[in-house]
Amino acid sequence: MRITAPAGGSSHGFRPQVSHNPSLFPFHSAPVRSSEGNGCGRSWDSARRPPAPGRLPALQTVRHGSKAVTRHWRVMHFERQKLMAVTKYIPPKPAINPRCVTPPPKRVQEETGLIRLLRREVAAVFQNNRMIAVCQNVPLGAEDKLFMQHRLRKHNILVKAFPNQILKPFLEDSKYRNLLPLFVGHNLLLVSKEPKVKEMVRILKGVPFLPLLGGCIDDTILSRQGFINYSKLPSLDLVQGELVGGLTLLTAQTHALLQHQPLHLTALLDQYVRQQHQGDSVKPATGQPGPPDSVPDS
Amino acid sequence: MWRQLARASAPLLRVPLSGSWAAPPASAGLKTLLPVPTYEDVSIPERPKLRFVERMPLVPKVRREPKNLRDIRGPSTEDTEFTEGNFAILALGGGYLHWGHFEMMRLTINRSMDPKNMFALWRVPAPFKPITRKGMGQRMGGGKGAIDHYVTPVKTGRLIVEMGGRCEFKEVQGFLNQVAHKLPFPAKAVSRETLEKMRKAQEERERNNQNPWTFERIATANMLGIRKVLSPYDLTQKGRYWGKFYLPERV
Repeated sequence: MRITAPAGGSSHGFRPQVSHNPSLFPFHSAPVRSSEGNGCGRSWDSARRPPAPGRLPALQTVRHGSKAVTRHWRVMHFERQKLMAVTKYIPPKPAINPRCVTPPPKRVQEETGLIRLLRREVAAVFQNNRMIAVCQNVPLGAEDKLFMQHRLRKHNILVKAFPNQILKPFLEDSKYRNLLPLFVGHNLLLVSKEPKVKEMVRILKGVPFLPLLGGCIDDTILSRQGFINYSKLPSLDLVQGELVGGLTLLTAQTHALLQHQPLHLTALLDQYVRQQHQGDSVKPATGQPGPPDSVPDS
Repeated sequence: MWRQLARASAPLLRVPLSGSWAAPPASAGLKTLLPVPTYEDVSIPERPKLRFVERMPLVPKVRREPKNLRDIRGPSTEDTEFTEGNFAILALGGGYLHWGHFEMMRLTINRSMDPKNMFALWRVPAPFKPITRKGMGQRMGGGKGAIDHYVTPVKTGRLIVEMGGRCEFKEVQGFLNQVAHKLPFPAKAVSRETLEKMRKAQEERERNNQNPWTFERIATANMLGIRKVLSPYDLTQKGRYWGKFYLPERV
């Protein structure tokens, strides 16, 4: 409902303008709710006089709200709201709920050359090296890691890192099945041809957190404690010598017992002969230094 | 990094699509380097940055124009397709762009882009529509106000700024979205592929809509006399536009 103001712009109120309406359609009475949402309108002129009977009303209201394009969201007519609600998009539903059906098999991705190469490398590592130790890939600084690697390299121990994704299937197939529980999370492989466990343990002890998890030496699985014990063992030759000595202990004892008497006799005879010779040799050799019995003055 | 020489010939001025990569990427957890696209056929113009846009036309208008809000309403008919570039800002609503918006876009994009490998161009004209304002405190009446500033009307579906060059969408998406959020209408960064995807998705929705009642059907047949509360524009806009707003979920 709008009351048109005169164009002159007077400051005292406004007078309603008469809109001439040649047609005779009846005038809509005032208190109809305006769906456009603009303020209430006044259907009568300021004098609030009802129109004389038989005459056209002096004032015709023009119903309007906001324009078609507004900054705010213009309120829709209720019928239009109903239309918008009825004509909403309904997505298609499968006849059987996908949760009730087993999902289709996922497409297996072809493996790239990198994976094949890594597999070959892993196989080679497990083939060639006698000692394989697994330690946790603790996030040391790059510098610290490099130092550790350098120290290990001096003893010919290589540090290798492989993705678990490749390592695990390989271990499952090979005889190292029992090493599988070690390969969870980030890890490093310390491999070498000769089992230089002592040096390795010493170097790893230098790092305050010793992440050694375990490993395999000569197809024998050892835990961390096992590695430490292994390092404390003496070297192979020593052990061999000990073993031989232990085995031949009894026979050696027998041999010693049997030989004891003649050896003793021989020793005594030797000493006697020496004494005899000493007595003879003292006279001709006068310039000789004194007998060894004399203690030199300090 | 890894360069693939003479890949399958892509259309002119188009970045090779992801379908032309050599091998599908390996499963997660393994780093596999993908081949890098070569942009042999892409040339950067000599002025790659957005040019300065005037505040008002060189010959300012004398005649004051009516409001004409039709230039905001409904879908756009011009500048809805890509020309030289591959990425753009798409308007998802109607509105007016004034000089401040142009400056913001120009400065942000010129600052964020790499002029050696990317270029940008305007897809909207400089402000030409005069907007009048009355002085502060003036009462109603006394004629139309004086021209205050100029604006550019923009409708839904129009591209605002287009970018191209030796770059990918991910590099450009960041700052284009940043700019798009500052515009006075909803907007987003799109590439040729994403725009195609949006249009196809809309067509797909229209096709597989299970609702037998659509706005278009009811409006064109004037069922229930609904045209009493609809506008003649709704026959073409089909309930997807309401004033300057665009309703993307509508079908």
